Amino acid sequence: MPFRLRRGAFALPAVIAVSALGLAACSSGGDPEPSGSAGGGETTEAMEPVELSFLVDNAETSIGVVEALTAAYTAAHPEVTFAIEQRPGGTEGDNIIKTRLQTGEMTDLFFYNSGSLFQALAPTQTLLPIDDIENAGAIQDTYKSGVTADGVLYGVPAGTAMGGAMLYNIPLYEELGLEVPTTWDEFMANNQVILDESDAAPVIQTFKDTWTSQLFVLGDFANVLAADPEWADKYTANEVKYADGSPAIDGFVHQQEVFDAGYLNKDFASATFADGARMVATGEGAHYPMLTFALAEIQANAPDNVDDVGVFAIPGESGPSPLTTWLAAGIYAPATTENADAVKAFMNWVATPEACDVQTEAVGAQGPYFVDGCTLPDDVPQMVADMLPYFDEGNTGPALEFLSPIKGPALENITVEVGSGIRSAEDGAALYDEDVKKQAQQLGLEGW
Amino acid sequence: MTTATGTPKLNKTYSWVSGTLGILVTGVVFVVPFIFIFLTAAKSRQEASLLQFSWPTEWALWENLVEVIQTRDYILITAFINSTIITVGSVALMVIVSALVGYVLQRRRTRWNGLISFLVLAGLIVPPAVVPTIWVMQALGIYKTLHGLIFIEVAFGMAFCILMFRAFVATIPRELDEAAIMDGAGPIRLFFQVIFPLLRSVIVTVIVVQAVFVFNDFQNPLYFLPGDQGATVQLTLYNFQSQFSTSWNLLFMDILLITVPMLLMYIFFNRQIVAGMTSGAVKG
Repeated sequence: MPFRLRRGAFALPAVIAVSALGLAACSSGGDPEPSGSAGGGETTEAMEPVELSFLVDNAETSIGVVEALTAAYTAAHPEVTFAIEQRPGGTEGDNIIKTRLQTGEMTDLFFYNSGSLFQALAPTQTLLPIDDIENAGAIQDTYKSGVTADGVLYGVPAGTAMGGAMLYNIPLYEELGLEVPTTWDEFMANNQVILDESDAAPVIQTFKDTWTSQLFVLGDFANVLAADPEWADKYTANEVKYADGSPAIDGFVHQQEVFDAGYLNKDFASATFADGARMVATGEGAHYPMLTFALAEIQANAPDNVDDVGVFAIPGESGPSPLTTWLAAGIYAPATTENADAVKAFMNWVATPEACDVQTEAVGAQGPYFVDGCTLPDDVPQMVADMLPYFDEGNTGPALEFLSPIKGPALENITVEVGSGIRSAEDGAALYDEDVKKQAQQLGLEGW
Repeated sequence: MTTATGTPKLNKTYSWVSGTLGILVTGVVFVVPFIFIFLTAAKSRQEASLLQFSWPTEWALWENLVEVIQTRDYILITAFINSTIITVGSVALMVIVSALVGYVLQRRRTRWNGLISFLVLAGLIVPPAVVPTIWVMQALGIYKTLHGLIFIEVAFGMAFCILMFRAFVATIPRELDEAAIMDGAGPIRLFFQVIFPLLRSVIVTVIVVQAVFVFNDFQNPLYFLPGDQGATVQLTLYNFQSQFSTSWNLLFMDILLITVPMLLMYIFFNRQIVAGMTSGAVKG
């Protein structure tokens, strides 16, 4: 019986072409205009029952966060109810969001990434500005920069910060008497010990899910930033490139080194993200470079080993290496929403410590929040406990995607090649520089 | 068998061996994946995440079945109803409309024929664009409706059907039309009572191909029929699979449930499908 999960991605070029043409302005024809009654009789209107539609991606954590937030809000404001709609993640999800924004069919609220993906939505044309909400000041500035376009704020944080870090198996470290490394040389020395004295694979790589291959490069960015704080701006302006050498190329070089040294698990080419999370939790492997949201996967598939997994920043040339962090996703509203007041009131509430506690209760503590006054419970999973000192000491740096709109589409393919020994680090870095050129030109950046 | 020397016996051995080989290959290509789906659908989430071809240590078939059906307020039931309506509706429309077009296009020679054939071919070649299509649907007021999606499926599938019908009509002798007209049949009666029954074999082919195509369609419902009320069965797969984590046991249970209707259809209509496909070939 022929069974296909999806047919050819014929829609993608069309969507991109249309977004690139900036046809958003023409799209409002035929839509009901937002009701002009925002000014008059606001208090009576707020009491009228209203149902807000809410589009969220189908990751368990995202749904958990959104369901908890909306349920808590309805409990406090019975007149506001929510209809939650799910969408796929990844490229399909990006296409749905863009299509529905361009055609004026977006739900009243939606959940989406911050940073470069947010910028790709053409926020100034399609989203509802929320500068005037009361709690805008409570959102931390680092986060605001990820959901601001042309100086206007469009989103509030949902979920927590995460780190692009090295997950490691704590029992294995204790058994072999190893110390958490702060530099690349210490890290490689530990790998050699693990290779010689245990059955575990020193470094886990899972190239079946190609996106997992990018962490050596993307997660190394805080080290690049530590060496050259202006690197991201120069990169956007086409003044520096990955292939120019250290510090930027280090991520590629490190990926090649672990392959050359034979530190990878045997099935690195066919293993999946779920395999990697399981291996680092059960001690089949020692290190797994990954985003800390892997915690949710470990909690689901290896619940007995959750506290066996620790986290340290991906080591750079000199220690102590800073942790590369990713911003939380955001909750946004389209400019076409008919319930702007109710939507803003809800978003205002999301930026309160009360909302943080609701999220913690629903999905557990996954990392620090971006709203002033939010606290974490004392009893957090080991991975989060390992992350917190980096935030407390300010020893963190944002990932490149939050500082520069440039992210080439082929990075994951290139890092798979470098990580499998098919291509050298220098070659890979040069190829990636070529890859981003097209994207930068499409974005119309200066200097490309 | 070892003493077989005559050609008839050799031929028999040969056909026996090739037949067995065919069954074996079919078994490996079709049955093994199906068993894998079934076994994974019966495992617990943790065991299923290993994706191994192994016997489940504990059977959770019923629990998984109940969970899949109950997920998101019984959305799978809605999805089955929607998918059935869309498949039946669009295939019926496609067959009738394309047969009419194919017949006229083959029989009636005008100077528009070239242009019309070009447009039909263009329907096969030009990739559809999502956003402009939605604008058109919004203007017509059929966006986010079941019949809107049926029209989309008809539009995307019709070019192929017209080509099939036109080629087949060419094999029906023109004398048949003339005889019917002589006997006093009007154009409507001529088509539906004389020609349409003769098209049976190609109709069966079109129904099978397009029903599978529409039922398995993922992209069109995703973009043109958003919202939980409009969910189709292929979209329910995304309840269990997300970008970063997947409940393989539930996903495979869902796949199993979705595959069953098509499988049943094939088992029950097997004879008619094969007969329909071959009758055309034998008649030449």
